[in-house]
Amino acid sequence: MTIGAHRIAIDVGGTFTDLVVSNLDGSARTLKLLSTPDNYARAIADGLARLFEDGAIDPQGVGSLVHAFTVATNALLTGKGAKVALLTTAGFRDVLEIARLRMPQLYNMDWDKPRPLVPRRLRFEIEERMDADGAVVTPLNPASVIAALEKMREQDVDSVAICLLHSYINPAHERAVMALVRQHAPGLSISASHQVMPEIREYERTSTTVVNAFVKPVVETYLASVEEGIAGIGIRAPLMVMQSSGGIAKADIARAFPARCVESGPAAGAIGAAALGEFLGEANIIAFDMGGTTAKACLIEGGEPRLTDEMEVGAGINAGQRLLGGGGYLVRSPTIDLAEIGAGGGSLAWIDKGGALRVGPDSAGAAPGPACYGLGGTRPTVTDANVVLGFLNPLHLLDGDMPISLEAARKAIQEHVAGPLGLELHEAAWGVHAVADAAMTRAIQAVSSEIGRSPGDFSMVAFGGNGAVHGATLAAHAGISEIIIPPASGVFSALGLLFARIQHRLVAVCWYDIDKADCAALNTRAEKLFEDAAVLMAGEGVALDRRELQFTLDLRYAGQSSELAIPVKDSVLTSAALASAAAQFHVEHERTYGYCNRTERVQIVNLRLRARSLERQEHLPAPAELRRGAAAASVERPVYFGPESGWVTTRVIRRSDLTQTPQKGPLIVEEYDTTIIVPPGAQVHAATGTVRIRLGKG
Amino acid sequence: MAKDAIRLELMKNAFAAIADEMAATVIRTARSSVIKEAMDFSTGLLDPQGNLIAQGLCLPVHMGSFPPTLSTVLEKFAGDIHPGDVFALNDPYLGNGLHLPDIFVFKPIFFEGRLLAYAAAIGHQTDIGGRVAGGNACDNTEIFQEGLRIPPLRVIAQGKPDPVFFDILRLNVRVPETVIGDVQATIAACTRGERALMTLAGKHGTDAIVADMASLLDYSEALTRAELAAFPDGTWEFEDFLDDDGFSEDAIRIFAKVIKKGSDITVDFTGTSPQVKGSINLPIAMTQSSVYACLRSIMDPALPTNSGFMRPIKVIAVSGSIVNPTSPAPVAARGLTSMRVTEAVWGALARMLPDKVFACGAQGDFGVTIAGYRKEGRPFVLLEFLFGTWGGRPNKDAIDALSSLAVNYSNTPVEIVEREQPIRIEEYGFRQDSCGAGKYRGGLGMVREYHLTHVDEAVLQVRSDRQKFRPYGLKGGNPGAHAGNVLKNLDGKRSALPGKFMRTFLRGETYRAELAGGGGWGDAYARAPELVWQDVLDEKVSRESAARDYGVSISDDGALDVAGTERLRLARRAAE
Repeated sequence: MTIGAHRIAIDVGGTFTDLVVSNLDGSARTLKLLSTPDNYARAIADGLARLFEDGAIDPQGVGSLVHAFTVATNALLTGKGAKVALLTTAGFRDVLEIARLRMPQLYNMDWDKPRPLVPRRLRFEIEERMDADGAVVTPLNPASVIAALEKMREQDVDSVAICLLHSYINPAHERAVMALVRQHAPGLSISASHQVMPEIREYERTSTTVVNAFVKPVVETYLASVEEGIAGIGIRAPLMVMQSSGGIAKADIARAFPARCVESGPAAGAIGAAALGEFLGEANIIAFDMGGTTAKACLIEGGEPRLTDEMEVGAGINAGQRLLGGGGYLVRSPTIDLAEIGAGGGSLAWIDKGGALRVGPDSAGAAPGPACYGLGGTRPTVTDANVVLGFLNPLHLLDGDMPISLEAARKAIQEHVAGPLGLELHEAAWGVHAVADAAMTRAIQAVSSEIGRSPGDFSMVAFGGNGAVHGATLAAHAGISEIIIPPASGVFSALGLLFARIQHRLVAVCWYDIDKADCAALNTRAEKLFEDAAVLMAGEGVALDRRELQFTLDLRYAGQSSELAIPVKDSVLTSAALASAAAQFHVEHERTYGYCNRTERVQIVNLRLRARSLERQEHLPAPAELRRGAAAASVERPVYFGPESGWVTTRVIRRSDLTQTPQKGPLIVEEYDTTIIVPPGAQVHAATGTVRIRLGKG
Repeated sequence: MAKDAIRLELMKNAFAAIADEMAATVIRTARSSVIKEAMDFSTGLLDPQGNLIAQGLCLPVHMGSFPPTLSTVLEKFAGDIHPGDVFALNDPYLGNGLHLPDIFVFKPIFFEGRLLAYAAAIGHQTDIGGRVAGGNACDNTEIFQEGLRIPPLRVIAQGKPDPVFFDILRLNVRVPETVIGDVQATIAACTRGERALMTLAGKHGTDAIVADMASLLDYSEALTRAELAAFPDGTWEFEDFLDDDGFSEDAIRIFAKVIKKGSDITVDFTGTSPQVKGSINLPIAMTQSSVYACLRSIMDPALPTNSGFMRPIKVIAVSGSIVNPTSPAPVAARGLTSMRVTEAVWGALARMLPDKVFACGAQGDFGVTIAGYRKEGRPFVLLEFLFGTWGGRPNKDAIDALSSLAVNYSNTPVEIVEREQPIRIEEYGFRQDSCGAGKYRGGLGMVREYHLTHVDEAVLQVRSDRQKFRPYGLKGGNPGAHAGNVLKNLDGKRSALPGKFMRTFLRGETYRAELAGGGGWGDAYARAPELVWQDVLDEKVSRESAARDYGVSISDDGALDVAGTERLRLARRAAE
């Protein structure tokens, strides 16, 4: 990968495909076009053709091409993946379907469990058994594998998941089964659990492996099609993909382990926010991405987005989901930890039976859309409320591309909210705005106060179509006082791809009480991790002196099932290094959970190694190149900022009107694809390509 | 009301988020599988009067138990409650507790010198001492055998832990590291709740917070009454039975009468059997909680769960009956009776709302404890509650493998059990044909097999039921299959065991728990043949059962035999 060359970022979402090309001078071109769900690669090819049609960029000058994709997630959501069979230990055919027995919401008699991706008839038991130490209890019987393969052939299975008990500690039987599959059913796509996710807990490992098997053929076909489109334009740079963990890697990783890429798209925005923070010298950030149907929050601490160990695809949107699983297809893989809430510009406002005002999770979507779009929607949305309040331009959005009907917005709010509640129109609209903020506050709390972090210690980076509309009021709710609006905030996730680095995460399971750990054995496992990382990084073409290795220990008190990751400086573990890690663990436990026990046994559970390249985009693309649309003359309009401020005549300016000199709110900054609200008492200024809002004390 | 509507939604979210944040703290810091894997704990926020304001996303049947337990603390310590205090209790008779393994902790939350609320948590401890490890034995005959009784106590005084309490607890339980760690996890959750509520109070002011709590209760009550008012008025009865109490052969009747009038509802258990000798007596606080969970489940899932919801609900349970026992009746294994109470109440509710309520599932009747000492003398306790499935529903099938709606328990991964205990799980899966047939079938029962390894012997203690009375079907649906217990001895010989037993478990023996199946809903002969065929292809239902129970013929090559099916179904109609 050559950083000096053009770089292309492609972010394919369910609705839009965003492309960004960085130029040699640091500027960038962006393009937003509708996605093509029948074949997502088509929009990419179309978009690239448009970016290259004027001949200003030489395809051969493209040094890298980074891609975030949604086909894996979509295959899961629509059930359109491969026909998968599961080979598992005798006695445990139903682990996948039993799952963890819980449902993600209390008291709902009408709930439905997600259908298992492999029906019972395609789950086959293999005669074999390991114990928890990896010793063989029952040797593998090859005949049981061959018999299963025979049945799979009759059923036209095209992908097989292999998950045997305790394979995370001894994969010998899984390896032998793989060999038998290759020998007797050479055409089958294979996913084996010790490769996909070598960690304890059979349901979690089985589910992850099955998800991998389900999306693998789909992802392979898709990536081949994308690569064909790229080659067709004459681009020679290899295709890189974004993984759920926020690191990029050659597309081969997505072909072998697509389960590691299911959160490819959302990860891009978080990585962009982290990179932006680094340029600005802000290490602690809450990334807030608000679109049309959902809002997502992610915590970035010390410059690193926080990771979670597992997530569920298709579980619906609910902050409580983080406590109660069972609603979706579980994938255990390092994933940027996002809390998602069903509140976006299109979310519908309604009155419940107890007379409370509610917002979402139902959305007016793109069709019929908010009432103010005049596309047939009549029910009030968050966007309608924002139009009534004067936050959004009452005449048009997208610099005139989209006309807005203030009347329709007022009518919808009046009929469905203000009337029934006996409120003034503006009070009702303010209520909708505030309730949406409250719901999104829940997402921010989920990634901050729930894990012992105070939101007030973080700056907010607000992006997505509605991020800057709600950023300031939401920040006030959540107790955050600094808001940063990045350049091109409407396509910021795509921009974020340009800042991602090549990264691989490796794990080795090691169970020891830390004070009794066998350092020699630990170091053997560690050395193996370092060797594997070296091979992977060489494969990515990262030079030796451009690699950054971060070694961490997952520690916990004996008996706990959730660990804290404690970084270790040296690659060689000595008893002194372990003692210091244990001491650090107590401190971290105190910080996260409010107590620690310095006399208690601390256990090592995993060794983890993150290997990443130091190479990446070094500067922000110049915002001027990103903006389109004509500059509008400064005007003003009345805006309702809540009961304390009331209606305030507010100046409306363009982004280019902002300077480094702070201006006082209230103020509205309009640009092509976003509107920035600066409430009374706040200050706003432009800084290194971003817009920064500072809320007043209060 | 109008502006309150907005404020209410804001504060409802804020309180619920605090309770959830507390729950997350418990999960991340707890030690035992029962809490961290199976999630047998709850968190809540209560107002100074002891009304429940918000409940964490935890265990439904714990919901109603915070107010009566906190009331015993308030009674004892009125005027003597200070910042930094933590109170604990577990006793069913002195503290309104649920049974001894459930240790409650309460922490008062003060802000600017004013008592604002209580943070509360319950954790099911892996052991609480007493004659049988695990705290769930069925054959205790008085509560004194069941373990350490904790009356309402101040266990942390203004930030200073009471060493007497912690020393006594440590000495009385078999796995002190686990139990003390789990109690600390619940205390940590309360501290987290305290911090979060103080932050909220700092932002909104204490007066506002107190007022918001009151309006949230009124709001829930209004929502609940609106739901109740929409249901028909009338009286509906239902009875279900427990096989026995482990001592006598006598069946135990649970009789529930639901009386609904306007926006009030009463559940009257008069007619239920008297308290029994064995330890399946259900303390009144848990009887009430069980009723709340059932009624809550027929209402809008989004309704905030707090004391306001409980106001229109009245529970009548005669003192001295199995659903309101008097001291010193044993209660350790009362979870079983709680399950049956919910099933009787749901049965009555199904008569009130036939289009809404499911048939009987196979809930958490099974409690399995395997305990002993490893070679080096270190004690181990495996404690598991096994949950099965739901019953068929008025508009669709049951869900196979799902916890009870009243409990929402999880399972412990086989690999975790095997890593932490000298036990190998030989099988965990579905029982073919165990589902109650119906137009919408019940869920499949499950099996779990335990094999003792590494140690020469252990104590095996099982609480189970449904060997005589099967989970009921509704509207002509069949009942689910019986439950069973099977022991495979060292010679490989299998023998059936009763529902409730305790015995020595030898290395190399295998104990097999067979959970009941869920009841079906509606006439099985009206079930779409295609669905029966799919179940046969999945080997959930055998060809024999398809023909016998559903009148569906599957040919030898596995295809759906349409003509044969018609013949079978006609023949039955003719026979009727």
